[in-house]
Amino acid sequence: MTATDMLPANDMLWLALVVLGGSLVAVLIVLGVVVARLRGAERKIEERESSHESVLDRLQENEYRLRTIIESEPECVKLQAEDGTVLEINPAGLRLVDANQPADLIGRKIYSVVAPEYIDIYRENMRRVFAGEAVVYEFRAITLKNRVAWMETHAAPLRDARGNIYALLGITRDITEHKQAEEQARRHQTELARVARLSTMGEMATGIAHELNQPLSAIANFSRGCIRRLRAGGMSPLELIEPLEEVCDQAERAGDILRHVRDFVRKSEPHLKPMDVNQIVRAVIKFTEHEARQQRTLVRLNLDPQLPKVAADAIMIEQVMVNLVRNAIEAMSEANSPRREIAIQTRLLESDSVEIEVADTGPGIDGSLIDQVFDQFFTTKPEGVGMGLAISRSIIESHGGRVRAESSRDGGAILRFNLKISQQQVHRRERADSIHS
Amino acid sequence: MNEPTVFIVDDDQAVVRSLRWLIESVKVRVETYASAQSFIDDYDSAMSGCLVLDVRMPGMSGIELQERLAAQRIRIPIIFITGHGDVQMAVRAVQAGAFDFVEKPFNDQDLLDRIQKAITRDTEQRDKEAYRTQLRALFASLTPREREVLDLVVEGMSNKAIANSLGLSAKTVEVHRAKVMDKMHARSVSDLVKMSMQNQPPA
Repeated sequence: MTATDMLPANDMLWLALVVLGGSLVAVLIVLGVVVARLRGAERKIEERESSHESVLDRLQENEYRLRTIIESEPECVKLQAEDGTVLEINPAGLRLVDANQPADLIGRKIYSVVAPEYIDIYRENMRRVFAGEAVVYEFRAITLKNRVAWMETHAAPLRDARGNIYALLGITRDITEHKQAEEQARRHQTELARVARLSTMGEMATGIAHELNQPLSAIANFSRGCIRRLRAGGMSPLELIEPLEEVCDQAERAGDILRHVRDFVRKSEPHLKPMDVNQIVRAVIKFTEHEARQQRTLVRLNLDPQLPKVAADAIMIEQVMVNLVRNAIEAMSEANSPRREIAIQTRLLESDSVEIEVADTGPGIDGSLIDQVFDQFFTTKPEGVGMGLAISRSIIESHGGRVRAESSRDGGAILRFNLKISQQQVHRRERADSIHS
Repeated sequence: MNEPTVFIVDDDQAVVRSLRWLIESVKVRVETYASAQSFIDDYDSAMSGCLVLDVRMPGMSGIELQERLAAQRIRIPIIFITGHGDVQMAVRAVQAGAFDFVEKPFNDQDLLDRIQKAITRDTEQRDKEAYRTQLRALFASLTPREREVLDLVVEGMSNKAIANSLGLSAKTVEVHRAKVMDKMHARSVSDLVKMSMQNQPPA
């Protein structure tokens, strides 16, 4: 049974009105809600739109500000992708590589302006930046106009919001002038060293000239004596044989001198052999005996007889020793020292070396000069060149040893140097030890 | 016996032999020494000639030998041979009285000329020295009175003035004067004057 069955006809009309009215109200309400909702949404959209605009503005402002800073930055600022593609670069950067417009570089690989020999270094540094490191590196650049320049780049990774590295931020400056100054300083050093070597060569040349003069004079004298006799006549040619043989001998002597010079020049590297230090000292004493006696200088030896052999070029070490002994003799005679003694001592150091000490009873070394005595051209002698100790030091250092100077308590100078014990000797000792054990 | 000799002192034996060979080619006697000391030990100042010395020698240097000889008043002329860069030393040696120097390498004629001149100088010096010795002997042969007469004759005094001055007779003065002329081997008063002047000890 339905409601209409149970209600009279006018009631039906009423009901219909109520239903209609109710429906209408409901529809209106729904409409209202919808409208209201729509209105709200609209408002929210409006609100949202207006805030979005201000953020964009601010971002733009920021970017503009940053861009202005970067554009006006006097040093090159650039962004690079991991593969080396230049993403952005400021005008200073373009100028740095002689580019006319951004397109000359942006979108291209940075390697086009890196000197070939530095590309690997550059790549490695890029790799480190994309691994998260901040780095500084130098490289030689070849600009778009083929100008060569030295560059230094400070590079750091740029990360996006999620922390992923998406670019390298590099600030690069031209350090060519700095490099040139450095290079000049280095060249100056080399030049100094060369001058120093030349002056040693100069001394050597004087020595060679003196040495060569002897056989050359003899050759001239013998030959001219022969010519004069031949001109005068009345002599047997057989008489000329002996002087002519002398000429040949003297020519050979001159040749030997030159050969020595050649050997000396060739032999800049020490030829290390196991040597007995005490034997070297004794040989040197023989060389300098005469001078020592002339200057009334007493030489005392205190040599450890148990020393192992050292790795040394005997001739070079002799040179050093002669130098030290001569210096001592000269220092004492020039200072007119009343007591003139040189004490030469050899001893085993705890480390793997043997020490040789030359001590004198002369005026000693002024404390303020002690650091300079090994410098080239440093001399206290009126006619000194200031090469002796400098050469001695370089010889000792080429042997892996060290040389030091100091003043002794009673005023004289002490010079010490050490030489490494010969490894061949060490091996032999070890072998001997293992046999004994 | 006392033939002028070139004494060579040099430690380089080849140089010494070559110098001997060269110098003997002009018929000059040569003696060689390997060191200044051996020369000093051997040298007799009566031996004439000249000395050829290397400036630089181990032991006593040429310069030192020169000093030693000067100290002993040995006046043999010295020619120094100098090596490379020793010219200053040679100049000092010449200032100290060395005869001359040659720089190595030298021209043989230069050296031989200098040797010849040095020998001539030595001969002259020795002749002068011998003459002085002779003079001294002549003067020594005079009696004190004769010497007095000679001094006054040389001053240009007449016999009469001398007689007055010495309180002698003119006749006695004349005898003394004749004796002096005879003893001094003088032919004239001017000879006597010359000899008196030459008898002054050398400065």
